[in-house]
Amino acid sequence: MTHLTVDGVTKIFGDPDKDGVVAVDDLDIDVEDGEFLVLLGPSGCGKTTTLRMIGGLETPTSGEIRFDDVVVNDIKARNRDVAMVFQDFALYPHMTVRENLGFGLKREDNGMSTADVNERVEEVATMLEIEQLLNNKPAQLSGGQKQRVALGRAIIREPRLFLFDEPLANLDAKLRKTMRTEIDELQSEVGITSAYVTHNQEEAMTIADKIAVLNDGALQQLGRPEEVFNEPANLFVAQFVGSPDMNIYDGVVEEAADGVRVELDGVSFELPSDALDSEVPPGGVNVGFRPQDFYQTGKRRADGLTFDVDIRVIEPVGTKAIVHGDGPMGDVTAEIGEFHGLSAGDTLSLSIAPEHVYLFDAETEALRKGRRIENRASVQSQSQSSESDGVEI
Amino acid sequence: MAAQDPDPTAEFRRNESWLFDTTAGAYVRKTAVALLTLVVFAFVLFPLYWMVVTAFKTTAEIQQIPPTVFPNDFSLEGFRLVVESSIQAGGYTSLFANLFGWQASSAIDIDILSLVLNSLKVAIGAGAIALVFGTAASYVLSRRDFAGKNALMSIFLASLMFPGTAIMVPEWELVSALGLFNTHLVLIFIYGAMTAPFVVWLMKGFFDDFPDSIIEASRIDQCSSIETFWYVIVPMARNSLIASFIFAFLLAWNELVFALTLLDNSRYTVPPGLLTFVQGFNTQWNVVAAASIIISLPVLLGLAYIQRYFVQGLTGGAIKG
Repeated sequence: MTHLTVDGVTKIFGDPDKDGVVAVDDLDIDVEDGEFLVLLGPSGCGKTTTLRMIGGLETPTSGEIRFDDVVVNDIKARNRDVAMVFQDFALYPHMTVRENLGFGLKREDNGMSTADVNERVEEVATMLEIEQLLNNKPAQLSGGQKQRVALGRAIIREPRLFLFDEPLANLDAKLRKTMRTEIDELQSEVGITSAYVTHNQEEAMTIADKIAVLNDGALQQLGRPEEVFNEPANLFVAQFVGSPDMNIYDGVVEEAADGVRVELDGVSFELPSDALDSEVPPGGVNVGFRPQDFYQTGKRRADGLTFDVDIRVIEPVGTKAIVHGDGPMGDVTAEIGEFHGLSAGDTLSLSIAPEHVYLFDAETEALRKGRRIENRASVQSQSQSSESDGVEI
Repeated sequence: MAAQDPDPTAEFRRNESWLFDTTAGAYVRKTAVALLTLVVFAFVLFPLYWMVVTAFKTTAEIQQIPPTVFPNDFSLEGFRLVVESSIQAGGYTSLFANLFGWQASSAIDIDILSLVLNSLKVAIGAGAIALVFGTAASYVLSRRDFAGKNALMSIFLASLMFPGTAIMVPEWELVSALGLFNTHLVLIFIYGAMTAPFVVWLMKGFFDDFPDSIIEASRIDQCSSIETFWYVIVPMARNSLIASFIFAFLLAWNELVFALTLLDNSRYTVPPGLLTFVQGFNTQWNVVAAASIIISLPVLLGLAYIQRYFVQGLTGGAIKG
């Protein structure tokens, strides 16, 4: 149980004065006891470097890493009492599962006898349902089983911190979802502070208590998953989180009688002042629509922006479909429920509610207006309730 | 049209050939491959076969023209002479005379046992030197970047291509300056130096493939660098280390020229020792062959036991997680 603080940490690979590469730039992150932090970002954004600095595998160029307010910068990895799950699992190939699990415990100065270690190994193996595999070598295990052994090796020591470095990246899609849930359950069960690196926003959203979105080594936003989704700090976060990608258009904000008027190519709409949390000054903006927030005109409510889209492609995903088409303001990607009568070439009328529109400053790309969090309950049910929507009409 | 073309699969059969697409053709191919294999097999193994049959022939039969492919007169004379010569040269004559009332007396005066012991000493020493230095060097060459690294690797490779005899003269001067003539130590040094570059290349391949994350995992598992080395790297490197050792061992075991020139016959290793059995027109070839067999057997058995590690080590199949 540890309160982890990353305070102004910078990591530069190579010579800082000449052509060093800045991997992490003045990062501040605070993780409470038992919290699950996810470091999210594209490849090369510094998230793994951050994790490795927390684990002691890299030394920060400047700044402090603190465990429970104790600076651990110069404590070696082996003395930090952290456990790490690696992307390639990094199991010791010459040891059996039992030896792999017990290895850390045996190295530790904990006065445990071989029998104690064995007992603990079996306890953990039972918890992870790998007790039949204890005498196998890693080469005989499937990907999911290796993953479980790697997890077991981490939890067996009851460390201060769990560190996960893209632990699910090498698994197939189905297994990834199962293991994701298991990691989440396991972490809540043992209540150990965790840091988890991933480039998969869906994984981050589902598993995290707190998400740190990184880009080019700099922290973009630190917040709860719904904050990151609904009130992304800037355009980068908005585009990175959420799938399919957010639709972004150049627009101009003008004053209106009540609230503001947003002009896009070919369409314009009004945002009443009660849909705005703060004042939006006139000027250039980036307007964002989440594909999930579109609805077929008239199906949900009457207000909001409405426009026609010429469908290019329909990608059915079970009960919903992703529609790509040409709208008046450019390419439109929308997720809709009732797609069975539609085919490429058809025209589809889409609407979006004012409170679901995102606005970003055109210059700074900072958020001007986010998606309303108060409406979360209704927002969440939208995708599932599309059938009942149809009934209401 | 359909009637004229009764085989609907004809379209698919245009590229068929008798040799590759019929059962008879398959038999012909397999037979040809088998015959070729047999020829290669015979070519490789005939000298060994000839050694074995020669060992069991009598001197008269060996000198017979045309030679016999299989000994008419199965004789253990060659082996008897080798054993007797070893007993006599080793100074056990009186022991055997007292114990069994049997007087060994041999015209040849060579102790096979001491040849083998000398060779073992030199080969194990050379293997150890090559392994320790080669592995340490390869670890650094694989894990660290420094100026001149590629040049160094090229020099190591080039040194493998030189025939050992090319450096005889400077080697002689060095040995004489160090006063190491007629010692086994000098052979250990020379053989170790000759094989270390190979070990560097082999082990560098191993370390290049060694995943960093395993070392990091061991650090997270609270290992000091010594513990990481001993509990993680060494066990994983086992096959490559064995392969390296065998390579160095075999070179030292088989090397003739340096052993012949740097030692006198009281300290001979196996290759020059065997050579002393060859005595011009008086050579008893059955004795030479018998001595060769006796000397090869222990190495052969040892290699048979560890050959699977050897193959795995050479092919780099060591790391699979």
